[in-house]
Amino acid sequence: MKLACDDPVILNQWHPLSSFDEIAVGATHHTVLLEQPVSYQMTSVGDVSVWLRDDISCALPLKRAYGFLWTCLGTPPDDIFPIFELDEPDRQNVATGVFGVNVSFGRAIENFLDMGHFPFVHAGILGEEPHTEVKEYDVEVSESRDEIMATRCRFYQPQASLASEAGADVDYVFRVPHINCALLYKSSPGYEAEGRMDVIYMFLQPMGPEWTRAHTGMCVIDMDNSYEGIRYFQQVIFGQDKSILENQRPKRLPLDTRAETPIRADKSAIAYRRWLTTKGLTYGVIPAL
Amino acid sequence: MYVDFSQWYPIASSSDLPLRHVYQGQLWGRELAVWRADDGHVNVWENRCLHRGVRLSIGLNEGRELRCIYHGWRYANRTAGCTYIPAHPADAPARTICNNTYQCIEAHGLVWSAIAPEADLTLPVALDDTMPLALRPMPISAPLSEVKKMAWDYPFGAVIDQDSKCLTFQSSDARLHLFIQPVDAGRTILRGLLSPTPADPIEAMQHHNDAMTALRDRIELAVAGAPPPAAIDVQFAPVAKELAEMPDRAPAGPKVELRTKVVRKWQVANQVIAYRLESIGGQLPTAHPGSHIDVSLPNGMSRQYSLTNGPGETDHYTIGVKRDSASRGGSICLQDDVQEGDVLAISAPHNNFSLRRDAVKTILIAGGIGLTPMLAMAQALKVQDLPFELHVFVRLKNDLAFPNLLDELGGSVVPYIGLSSEVTGGAIADIVGNYTLGQHVYICGPGPMLEAARGMAANAGWPDSAVHFEYFKNTNDIDDSTSFEIALARSALTLQVPAGKTILQVLQENGITAPSSCEQGACGTCLMTVIDGEPDHKDVYLSSSERASNQKIVTCVSRSKSQRLVLDI
Amino acid sequence: MRLYDYELSGNCYKIRLFLSILNKSFDTQTVDFYPGREHKTEAFLALNPLGQLPILEDAGQVLSGSDVILSHLAAQYDASQKWHPQNLRGDISKWIHVADEITKTASAARLHDTFFYDLNIDTARAGAKKVFRSLDEHLWFAEQRGHDWLVPAAHPTIADIACFPYVALSEEGGISRQDYPAIRRWCDRIKRIDGFLPMPGVFPTSKAA
Repeated sequence: MKLACDDPVILNQWHPLSSFDEIAVGATHHTVLLEQPVSYQMTSVGDVSVWLRDDISCALPLKRAYGFLWTCLGTPPDDIFPIFELDEPDRQNVATGVFGVNVSFGRAIENFLDMGHFPFVHAGILGEEPHTEVKEYDVEVSESRDEIMATRCRFYQPQASLASEAGADVDYVFRVPHINCALLYKSSPGYEAEGRMDVIYMFLQPMGPEWTRAHTGMCVIDMDNSYEGIRYFQQVIFGQDKSILENQRPKRLPLDTRAETPIRADKSAIAYRRWLTTKGLTYGVIPAL
Repeated sequence: MYVDFSQWYPIASSSDLPLRHVYQGQLWGRELAVWRADDGHVNVWENRCLHRGVRLSIGLNEGRELRCIYHGWRYANRTAGCTYIPAHPADAPARTICNNTYQCIEAHGLVWSAIAPEADLTLPVALDDTMPLALRPMPISAPLSEVKKMAWDYPFGAVIDQDSKCLTFQSSDARLHLFIQPVDAGRTILRGLLSPTPADPIEAMQHHNDAMTALRDRIELAVAGAPPPAAIDVQFAPVAKELAEMPDRAPAGPKVELRTKVVRKWQVANQVIAYRLESIGGQLPTAHPGSHIDVSLPNGMSRQYSLTNGPGETDHYTIGVKRDSASRGGSICLQDDVQEGDVLAISAPHNNFSLRRDAVKTILIAGGIGLTPMLAMAQALKVQDLPFELHVFVRLKNDLAFPNLLDELGGSVVPYIGLSSEVTGGAIADIVGNYTLGQHVYICGPGPMLEAARGMAANAGWPDSAVHFEYFKNTNDIDDSTSFEIALARSALTLQVPAGKTILQVLQENGITAPSSCEQGACGTCLMTVIDGEPDHKDVYLSSSERASNQKIVTCVSRSKSQRLVLDI
Repeated sequence: MRLYDYELSGNCYKIRLFLSILNKSFDTQTVDFYPGREHKTEAFLALNPLGQLPILEDAGQVLSGSDVILSHLAAQYDASQKWHPQNLRGDISKWIHVADEITKTASAARLHDTFFYDLNIDTARAGAKKVFRSLDEHLWFAEQRGHDWLVPAAHPTIADIACFPYVALSEEGGISRQDYPAIRRWCDRIKRIDGFLPMPGVFPTSKAA
């Protein structure tokens, strides 16, 4: 059957539908992917199936990865991007909620990568005036791994750790291994000396070009210390960002360099827009002129 | 569908614009952020911050500036120019970061605007002599054409006139101008002006509100069958090319390109005269605290003067000029030969001394007329409730310039009058004696005072990045009798710098784009990177560690100790 | 005093906001409403069989329902006695009903768009439009008469606290407030009340002149 979306770049990707936590055994669940109604079901023995809601005979490929059910409306890639931390035996991976947001996935990804808004949108949590400076950081687009990395990112956080009252610079690493998925790496509390990091991620399900279902989760070492804090982080931070994202116009991410005014702090966003242009993406974006 | 972008429409009521609020409007599909500044001026801007497209209607009206809620970018009253980008506190934003604005006129209790006006606003003459009452506006979920058709039935007297935007009704004792504003394809607002204002205005407003509500309900019922029309497609204009590239600090030479009129000239201190300059044509460009302008004097000279303007004061520039008989004559020329009513050619503002607004505390130290940029800074800090101290050193009490402004700044101002240079030194040592992380100090004044202050700050542990200064003059003697060679690494060019010429002059003579401003070794605009060779520093701009590293050179005055300098241009 | 709370709940926010204005300290027990569904656990249902938030434990009482909690707090801790004064109770309770209507419509739309609750979004939005139109008209005329708040008094009341959150969060359910300028001005005034506290989706405004 003819699909609503005709952009092969986004069709030929794995996209998340749901965390397994949210799939009630035996029930048929419905959602929308790239404007296409999709249904999925899990049996009591754990067999999963995904199909086009309007054509039950049309079964869709599926993949289980990172605690989520993924599907593809086109030809899926052989593999999904790796998250190496998940292989570590002392890690736990937990979904922290799924939220709808009325904006394109590209805008949501850029917001996830951006630090400059911390003292304004997340005042008192991720940042605080007057410490508004975004210091120089590095951005690398890896052709071999086909992903974007932003490293040496640091930003002043009030009450940088549960132990201290004082604020301090916190180090971040951002990673975009998929056009609508992003990860953030932050020092794991208690494991700073070993340099081990907790991973906070956002897998976006593009329901439409201007409508996104954001699946959030974390992969942490010390669940007792980390769960409540990160769950709060995901919920409150997302709630704060949502109202900003829904007030951005145009809702689709504009890829033309003259659409908006970048500053040095926007290096990762600029790399992301260029990366999408190189891929030839047209869905959910306003392509460069 | 019919659209007329040239037409003026009322887009808000005056009462929709209380202080410190932003009204969300829309005309022909274009969203508008409408706000009244503390000085009464009404701004109608495109409802979209140029940075990442967030609505300015959810931004914060801080009285002089509108602050975007996403990253805190600040935009000045009137100009919509960006005055501060918190992510990069040390860099003054490029002058051309300016949100799109629409013209507006406030009259008869309504605010009028147009998307692309071709002529001035003409209002019904009948409104001029009466005191009309602005009724409660009535948004209707229906297209303009439907509303225009059905508004004829509005129950008030009879229609005596109509044009494309207004139906005029006349009853036995009153006239109603019913303006019909196209918001978007499927949305319209009725805005009524009732003249004269009746004896019981609230009763009249209630009556008309009920009648308009009934009309609205009838109209919406009539269109209920049809699907709502698609929203008018709005294309956003691209940003200027130079803004689309990743910017560095924008270097700019002193182009004297604006014509202004001296609207006021007045004495503000012993030997100091202030000038209020207003534009002759068009809006003055946005300045930020610490900015200066280049003024072209009648005697052919050009001089830089700092602006004392507070935030949002965008309809004029104010400068203070101190008479200096020992100078080359610029101040004397200005004070003696330029009068109120004269035209002065000036440059747009440049800023080599921009104010960070992320300091835990800001210390401002001014010597004499060095006060002028500090006044702009102090006002900005005060308006934002950011902690600061302003220390002003003068010889006599009457030397304190702009005393009214200093009074308004209140207890944060500390004057020091008639101190000897030793005592001044001690006072400055005390002021900078307690460095703590997050403080910044700004110093402006005579050369020796700056040298002393910079030294004391360094001794007290202030890092270079927290000490900011602007020299008015470079009082060093410059011996330019040496000659040497410069190699331009990226241009593959070697040039000779003979005695009597500066590196900057030689570059400019050879067609190399080399920005400059003060040309005295004070401002740092002409700074370049040295790859090889040993510079002979004649400037007052670089710190001692920068000088020792030999990696920078101030090309308008400095020379070379080695036979050859390699510059990274 | 202990408040069982969820950060993204507008009803819980009514209580957090009022407590902040009253400058009253309290313990918070964050309930993992989402995704943990902790409010449906047995332990929680023992506290409130309806499984709803907020719940307030104060001086031996267990109170549920934001309206009930707001009245209780006004009675116990409002030294000024201006937030729920005797002579305005009739008027205030009318607005508490309006707050319920706002919850049924605007909050429902938000639950649909943000949390994927299965309900009729068009009905919710149409219902919110009706309430907001009526609210905007009321506030517009109140302003003309020199009043800043829902109930004609010089001081805000719990009527304002009850109606504010889901109005301020309406855009998360696709309900724009562009057509309701009087509501937008009232929201600014509430944000300027001494002790105002934001929540995700409700940002502080600039200082008054």
